[in-house]
Amino acid sequence: MSAKSPTPIPAPPVKIQRGAPTATPVRPRKKKRRNPLIWFLQGLVRRLYFGLKTGIKFLFLVPILVFMVAFSYNVDRSGLFQGALAPRRIVDLMLEGYDVTNFEQMDERQVVQLYAQDVPDAPEAIGIGSSRVLQFNRENTGVDSFFNMGVTGADVRDNMTSYYKMVSYGKTPKVLLWSLDPWVFYGSEAAFDSRADADLYNEFLTKVLNVPTDYEEPDKVELWRALADPAYFQGNVDYYVKNHGQATVTDDEGNTIEFNPVEGDPYNQTTTIKRSDGSVLYDVAFRSQSADQIRTLAAEACMSFNSVHMEGFDAMSDTQMQAFDSFIKYAQSQGTTVILVLSPWHPYLYGYLLTEPDKHKGFFQVENWVRQYAADNNIPLYGSYDPECIEGLQETDFFDGLHCSGTGIERFFPGIPQVLQDLENGTLPDPLAVQPRTSLETEAPSEEDGEAAEETESESTAESDTETTTQEG
Amino acid sequence: MTITWEQVLAFLSEDQTMTITSLLFLAFFAATALIHYALPRIARPYFLLAASYAFFCYDPANRPLVWVLLGATLVTWLCGLIIGRIKSKPVRIIALLVAIAGGIGVLIYYKYWNLLADSLGGSWLSHRDNLLAPLGLSYFTFAALSYTIDVYKRRCRVGTNPFHYALFVSFFPTLINGPIERYPQLRPQIQKSRRFSYNRCAGGAFRMLWGYTKKMVLADNLSHYVSLVYGDSSSMSGPNLVAATVLFAIQLYMDFSGCCDIALGAARILGYDLIENFHAPFESRSFGEFWRRWHISMTGWFRDYVYFSLGGSRCAPWRHYLNIVIVFLCSGLWHGADWRYLVWGLACGLISAFGAMTAKPRRSLERFNPLYRAKWFKSLWQIVCTNILFCFTLVFFASALYNTDPFAIYGDMLQGWQGLAGSWHQVTSLIYDSGIDGRLPVVLLFGCFVVFAVEHYSQNVAAWIRKQVWPLRWTLYYAAACAILFFAAFGQSAFIYQQY
Repeated sequence: MSAKSPTPIPAPPVKIQRGAPTATPVRPRKKKRRNPLIWFLQGLVRRLYFGLKTGIKFLFLVPILVFMVAFSYNVDRSGLFQGALAPRRIVDLMLEGYDVTNFEQMDERQVVQLYAQDVPDAPEAIGIGSSRVLQFNRENTGVDSFFNMGVTGADVRDNMTSYYKMVSYGKTPKVLLWSLDPWVFYGSEAAFDSRADADLYNEFLTKVLNVPTDYEEPDKVELWRALADPAYFQGNVDYYVKNHGQATVTDDEGNTIEFNPVEGDPYNQTTTIKRSDGSVLYDVAFRSQSADQIRTLAAEACMSFNSVHMEGFDAMSDTQMQAFDSFIKYAQSQGTTVILVLSPWHPYLYGYLLTEPDKHKGFFQVENWVRQYAADNNIPLYGSYDPECIEGLQETDFFDGLHCSGTGIERFFPGIPQVLQDLENGTLPDPLAVQPRTSLETEAPSEEDGEAAEETESESTAESDTETTTQEG
Repeated sequence: MTITWEQVLAFLSEDQTMTITSLLFLAFFAATALIHYALPRIARPYFLLAASYAFFCYDPANRPLVWVLLGATLVTWLCGLIIGRIKSKPVRIIALLVAIAGGIGVLIYYKYWNLLADSLGGSWLSHRDNLLAPLGLSYFTFAALSYTIDVYKRRCRVGTNPFHYALFVSFFPTLINGPIERYPQLRPQIQKSRRFSYNRCAGGAFRMLWGYTKKMVLADNLSHYVSLVYGDSSSMSGPNLVAATVLFAIQLYMDFSGCCDIALGAARILGYDLIENFHAPFESRSFGEFWRRWHISMTGWFRDYVYFSLGGSRCAPWRHYLNIVIVFLCSGLWHGADWRYLVWGLACGLISAFGAMTAKPRRSLERFNPLYRAKWFKSLWQIVCTNILFCFTLVFFASALYNTDPFAIYGDMLQGWQGLAGSWHQVTSLIYDSGIDGRLPVVLLFGCFVVFAVEHYSQNVAAWIRKQVWPLRWTLYYAAACAILFFAAFGQSAFIYQQY
């Protein structure tokens, strides 16, 4: 029955001995003793592993920061790194090969400094000087990669810092064409232009010429802060969105920047333009003046001659002469060939100056000193302040009393390749062979006025050969 | 060019306040976390305590007030020790009273002195100018008081290590905006510091990022419009006042919950889990539920130590309703020494009490409402009504913040309506005038939507993000970081709840 029963036969109960004494008494578990060195090393390895893992994962977010910094640096609406927006616009256009309108409104010094920063390769030759150098261009220098770094009203600080900027950006030119203005050797405050970058000049003096100044290394913290400042990034994004791809661009405050590429024939513009090589092309009307009109402008410049950085210029400054010498040696130490140029003054103006040499003592000392210096140091020197010393120079080779035109330049400057060749061959013209007039041989009549001066000047011109030979440097 | 430490410090410390949104705080926190995990686990609480006091003392204005934090810690710890170790009831009561009197005394001295002086007419107390309260006064005082009361009620063991207890009171992520912690919650975490966990750390970092996005992208941008309207409320039209009030509710949530996210994320990185302070409050279907989801640590504190002490709901109905009103009055007073906060608390209390009073009849009537047969409609309707009520009460809160007359605002809300299109135009044109232009309205709308959607699905964003697949995870990391970079309003780092 039991075999056929559907109900399985229950197995006999098995007694479970709950709480029965165990064979061996329970001993408290011994705590593992760990070797302190191994414990320390384990901890160290563990920390290093997780530290590295976490650090690497955080690195994946770094591209966002890099993007922020790069974008802020490149757009830079406040001009902290790339320079102000308007000069940047001008330099961008010039680097693209455009001539730029609205020259009168440009901050030329910022343009020059920005150009030094932004130009991809060092130009073969650069020109420095005041507005009197601004007619040197690629054509009359004969160098395709020439860039004219002259600025209106340039003083000695502008001249030197323009070159220094190029050097400091690692773009040292092979040739430096320096159109020397007389006030370069004047040590008074009057010789300085308020627009020049005094801090940069002090930096140059301190760092390069080892002349102690009150220069202090600028605090870069503010700049870093701007780069790492998301608010500045947002401002740059806004600016970029508003101006990207627009024909006219605006500045930080939303005002339109009026510097645009020249349209049409550059020689037929009604306003002065800045060429892509840094030189200046005056408007048609200014360039097309008759000899009489030019002489009128020269006559106007007579009375204000000293006001152009030469008020009270009675003697050349020893300090400035030393600075000049140091600068020339510095440029040469950088592998740059220095070419000095003395841009002539209008014959009428120069003639007038000769009539009152006591008022221009310093001015008349400069050329002879420069000639002697050039001769002593084998430095190419071209041109002369005295228009009589330049063969074939016409009154129409000037725009006004101060500024010699391109045609005038061609009369005394053979071009940079020729200068270099002459230098190499030792066939440079002797600087001392030219002796500019520094005073009239005969006293001018006391009743001399403007018209009389013209007559006297024409007379004196005729006698210039005999006069010049008698002048001392 | 060499970079000196002075330059690095000058770079980091633009000003002398270490706000949570500053670069200096991030550098401080990163250094703290790094050292924290480099130390042996037993030393970590002591280091965090030192870091917390360094954080407190960084602002020169807080340095002379460090004794308040120190004193509150010492007094409540000693009282807790006496309460826990001595069996004599009178002594325990005295110790409890000393702790409570000390805590409330400090609050009155630094926070409510001028309110009392002005209320009493200056004959009893004189008004004190330039009254400066220590950083996080309301938060650390309430945390310290909760410990003493819990020990008295035997809900918490005595903290024998004063340094551990001091860390609980002054833990720097909670010092600015809370949440108001409880000792039983934090004690085991302090006693046994967690091992480093990459997942916890990554989750915490995302939660911080999430908080920064809410605060800097959403709250700070919304504040442009809200402050414009409430700053000149007398000349604003009704549509703008209504819109500003609604947007203020969102701004307040993004600001406060954003800061709590940063605090919770920072604590999570350091190995600590804090109390969640928000739980999708705008999804609440009743006013009572709203307050169970909004500023949970504070409402929980008042519930446990005030409401229950008064009898809670286990008493006569009228007493129950009165208890609700009292709790909300206390809550209003906690926010600041201003009658507008008090009225705000009163309004919230009355609405809550009314809600409790009418709960049963409303439930009975629901079955007769045909619209309620659609559950989605019922939920939506209740949510909308709750939020309207909240916004309605918030006028008092915003008025206290922007120092305007709330009753004038209620009156002006009815003025200047020009139809739907005209009113919409008024609001949008003022939004543009406030500086929120271009892409920003879309970003704000989309941002709020994303925040509400994510928080609808997960209360703990830090844990939620770690469950996602890595492409989505990293997309969100980048999206949040880019949102901050492109759209955050920088330079408005103060949190609304920082002043409480």
